[in-house]
Amino acid sequence: MLPPSRAPRSSGHRSGRGRRRPLLRIAALIVVAGTVAAACSSGESALEIDSGDETATTTVAPDATTDGTGGDAPDDTAPATTTTVAPLADFPECPTDALASADGTVEITFWHGMNDVLEDSLIELTNLYNASQDQVRVTLQNQTGYDAAIDKYIQSSPDSRPDMIQFPEYSLQTFAQSDTLIPVGACIESSGFDTSAFLDRAIEAYTFQGVQWAMPFNVSNPVLYYLRPKFDAAGLDPDVSPITLEDVRETSQQIVDSGAATYGLVLDSGTNSGGGWFLEQWFARAGEPYADNDNGRTAPATEVLFDSAAGVELMTFLQNLIEDGLAVSVGDNASGQDTYLKLIDPAADGAMTIGSSAALGGVLAAIDSGLAQGLTAADVGIGPMPGPSPVPGVNLGGASLWIVDGKGDENAAAAWDYITYLITAEAQSQWASQTGYVPVRSDALDLEPLVSTYADDPRFRVAYDQMVGEVGSEVSLAPVLGPQREVRVATANATAAIFNGADVATALADAAAQANALIASYNQRN
Amino acid sequence: MASEHVIEPAEPMVTDPVAPADDTSRRHPRQSFDEPSGAGRLGRYALLCLVTFVVVFPIYTTVVAALKPGSEVLENPLVPTTVTFDVIVDAWNEGRLGRYLLNSFIVAFVVTTAQVVTSVLAAYAFAILQFPGKRIVFLVFVATLLVPLEATLVVNLDTVDSLGWLNTYQGLAVPFLATAFGIFLLRQVFLTLPRDLRDAAAIDGVGHLGFLRHVAIPLVRPTIGALALFSFLGTWNQYLWPNLVINEADMNTVQSGLRLLSRSSLSEPNLVMAGTVIAAVPIFIALFVFQRQLVRGLTAGAVKG
Amino acid sequence: MLAPSAVILGVFVLYPLGRAVWLGQQRCDNFGNNCVSQGFGQYLDLFRSTEFQNALEVTFRFALITVPAGVILGVGLAVLADKYLRGIGVFRAVFSSTVATSVAVASLMWLFLLQPSVGALANVGWFNSLFPSVKSPGWLQDPDTALWAVSASSVWANLGFTFILVTAGLQSIPRDLHEAAAVDGAGGIRRFWSITVPMLGPTLLFVMIVSSTRAFQTYGEIDLLTGGGPQPTNPTTTIPYFIYGQNSPIRNDAGLQAGAAVLLFLMLLVLSGLQLAGIGRRVHYGE
Repeated sequence: MLPPSRAPRSSGHRSGRGRRRPLLRIAALIVVAGTVAAACSSGESALEIDSGDETATTTVAPDATTDGTGGDAPDDTAPATTTTVAPLADFPECPTDALASADGTVEITFWHGMNDVLEDSLIELTNLYNASQDQVRVTLQNQTGYDAAIDKYIQSSPDSRPDMIQFPEYSLQTFAQSDTLIPVGACIESSGFDTSAFLDRAIEAYTFQGVQWAMPFNVSNPVLYYLRPKFDAAGLDPDVSPITLEDVRETSQQIVDSGAATYGLVLDSGTNSGGGWFLEQWFARAGEPYADNDNGRTAPATEVLFDSAAGVELMTFLQNLIEDGLAVSVGDNASGQDTYLKLIDPAADGAMTIGSSAALGGVLAAIDSGLAQGLTAADVGIGPMPGPSPVPGVNLGGASLWIVDGKGDENAAAAWDYITYLITAEAQSQWASQTGYVPVRSDALDLEPLVSTYADDPRFRVAYDQMVGEVGSEVSLAPVLGPQREVRVATANATAAIFNGADVATALADAAAQANALIASYNQRN
Repeated sequence: MASEHVIEPAEPMVTDPVAPADDTSRRHPRQSFDEPSGAGRLGRYALLCLVTFVVVFPIYTTVVAALKPGSEVLENPLVPTTVTFDVIVDAWNEGRLGRYLLNSFIVAFVVTTAQVVTSVLAAYAFAILQFPGKRIVFLVFVATLLVPLEATLVVNLDTVDSLGWLNTYQGLAVPFLATAFGIFLLRQVFLTLPRDLRDAAAIDGVGHLGFLRHVAIPLVRPTIGALALFSFLGTWNQYLWPNLVINEADMNTVQSGLRLLSRSSLSEPNLVMAGTVIAAVPIFIALFVFQRQLVRGLTAGAVKG
Repeated sequence: MLAPSAVILGVFVLYPLGRAVWLGQQRCDNFGNNCVSQGFGQYLDLFRSTEFQNALEVTFRFALITVPAGVILGVGLAVLADKYLRGIGVFRAVFSSTVATSVAVASLMWLFLLQPSVGALANVGWFNSLFPSVKSPGWLQDPDTALWAVSASSVWANLGFTFILVTAGLQSIPRDLHEAAAVDGAGGIRRFWSITVPMLGPTLLFVMIVSSTRAFQTYGEIDLLTGGGPQPTNPTTTIPYFIYGQNSPIRNDAGLQAGAAVLLFLMLLVLSGLQLAGIGRRVHYGE
């Protein structure tokens, strides 16, 4: 009957079930293997894998005035070294006069992470620069983001590195210690550049162990975004925004009670927002240390301190807000827009959220394009970032300009020239007015177009005003950590857990343990 | 229905040793055995339509979004309320997709050609030639199939960097100029070539290369076609490698360009969708044109094991 | 004749693998320099670390969802479309169409579908009432559903490929087998299990190996859809994403990255071997 050459090996009767059994067997084997493999988990983090000889980590003996929690300073045999200020002579020089003696045009590449409107503005400024002189020609290369720029830079060999690069504020220690960059402070010194008009906080932010490594360029900080119609509907004055965290609670209560919105405050647990960056801001504002060694400024940090009582208090407050229905969390906000979108969510909306001032232009444009029914850009209110103290004050976010070493004197000088252009009062005025970034120098406020922008729309000024305060102590500056971004990932995870109802002290302690492992691993290897 | 079943004609003698199994000459158009009855047919159509709906749904919403202006993209994702081609034009310009398509095409073409050439040569060597240690060498070659891209990534990046090939077509293409998959596939097929063919050629004094060129290759053309298609698709779809190798915006391939677009246009989902449409269309067209070859080749490779 | 392939494969596959094996037992600084050997015990430490185990579990779960689903759907669709009906060619073309979508294209399509407040499948009233377990803020943001959402995207994208392969395999099954069995009185389902499935053996094996290898190498979908998974449990961080992803704790540790990559290679080796040995033996190649 059946053509013999085509007969299945096993008889038709049994091959059906016989076919299925080995499949099941294999599946079972894989599942078992997986379970067994999982069972042999050591319970230790990958970061705790010993990386060789313990190099003596330099710790400054805790100073009674700066470190209130003297108990957790390591008192083992590590000698207290006095490397609090490193002289510039230890670092590559900045030959700023090499440009004058260069023949022909020096071509330099600049890796940046600006997108959308921000990129357009940078392109405009760069074109102006290129057209205004013929000694230097700058080529922009968009890396799509800070992290991509960091990754590419780290993976590149000296030949394929750019001449200039834009790095975010949280990468200060990594690159200061990389031996591949020329500190901008060297250029300032060798060219006699005058930084008196610059904002203190902007300069201090990029100073590590006494050396200024980068020139602040695009400065942003967190501000409070709120929808004025909702404040109106709740019977609140739309020109007044909450300043302290208690104020936030009261405002939210009124909003929720009046039905103006479902929630008061919209939070998130993103690494560079509610789960990381904002936490650093709040600690600084409260004058509480985030990490040891003066937040890592006077010497490399060896451990984090955010699991302190102050931290627990702060996070518990936020957790209570959520539990009481006054606030809501939108998760890790990977797109960066979920918090803003929540404000106009037709199903369950919020009335206010904290976001970067750099997003202001984009948010206004999006609302103007009709994204939300019945809302115009004028309905968006901006206030200083609320925090655990009655005086508004923030540390900067954003990024800065770094000069790469080893590309030749002319290129370094050319890069410095381009940098000085970007931070002239004129350039900063235009840059800030187009993007919403804070100008890094106060005299930019006296020039057009910024004068008009701030006059026409004082919302753009809020970010600037909350940053002009003097720098009190190191602790009021943001922390500097080696693996800062990874530590932020740890705090972001803890924040997400806390917003979901986990025990605050435990979550913070876990994050601190992870962060300490990250820092220890970093210090051992670098 | 037993009374209606037709005796199939005897299997024709095939001169093409890799006659693809989907050759429809074996399907008699009037096999009612295959035709479902009235109700069964309706049911089958219904099921087919349902599945079609599910499969096509994401594509549909994407196209709808790509044709919508920005102000409407958040409402009614299923209904194309306004149709405009502006968004697609925008995506093409802003997203530099024209250039990216060109880049992808160049790289895919180079890699495909190279893979075919190197695979044919190596496969022939393994199938026809004799040399000591052939088995072991072959096993080593096949072993490379199991090495995932992730394991070789970092070192390859280093190598490419030190050769100065970042941001170049070479950097994108060179690590993939040979593939054990192609060698495996073609060796299988070469092995089925009758010995007499080779012997006859030897008697005529034709060397290996001549034999390869004039006899072997024409006979295995379908498999080569399949390999070419596989290589092209595979290279076109690469995601991780181009992301790592390319810094300059202009040198991106379509995939890394899409990633760029999605990150830089977060507030304009319709723009991203338009970019997706542009990226997918060339391959859809190619698929449509080369349908038969693709199926043939996949069969030859898979079923013969 | 062998030279071109040998050179390319040697330089770009074998050498990097060897180098990675060596690098995997070293620790380097952030820039990949100053590497210090730690001994091969580091591999064991890495394998047993919590992050790797999590990634392993996620990858296994992902594979266990996508591979069977992909195979079953592929076979189901192929069988469905394997009848002589008018216009069947159109249906077949539609079912194979997803083979034209790349990882980036498919993932972005699904991202658009699932994004909260934008997507057609997210926060849609009728959908939520069908599946009440879906809570806001959305498929991709909810730790319980994130992996399923990513799996759906992956299965959809691979559907065309599987469909084409299985259809080709089906068409190589001689009709006379089915006819003869029908004559003997075997019904459709009986014929499916007794004839179709065994004869599809080689095809199914091929599909399974390719699908499971692909599942273990999932990177693009994760990168575009969830970025590793909603915090804090990160339920979509597969092994490749653990190594090279944005939020990876070993991002700046070239030694551990290489080690994890080599571990991935070993696992793929074992996986393929198991499948070949377990199922391959039962598969007969006809004639």
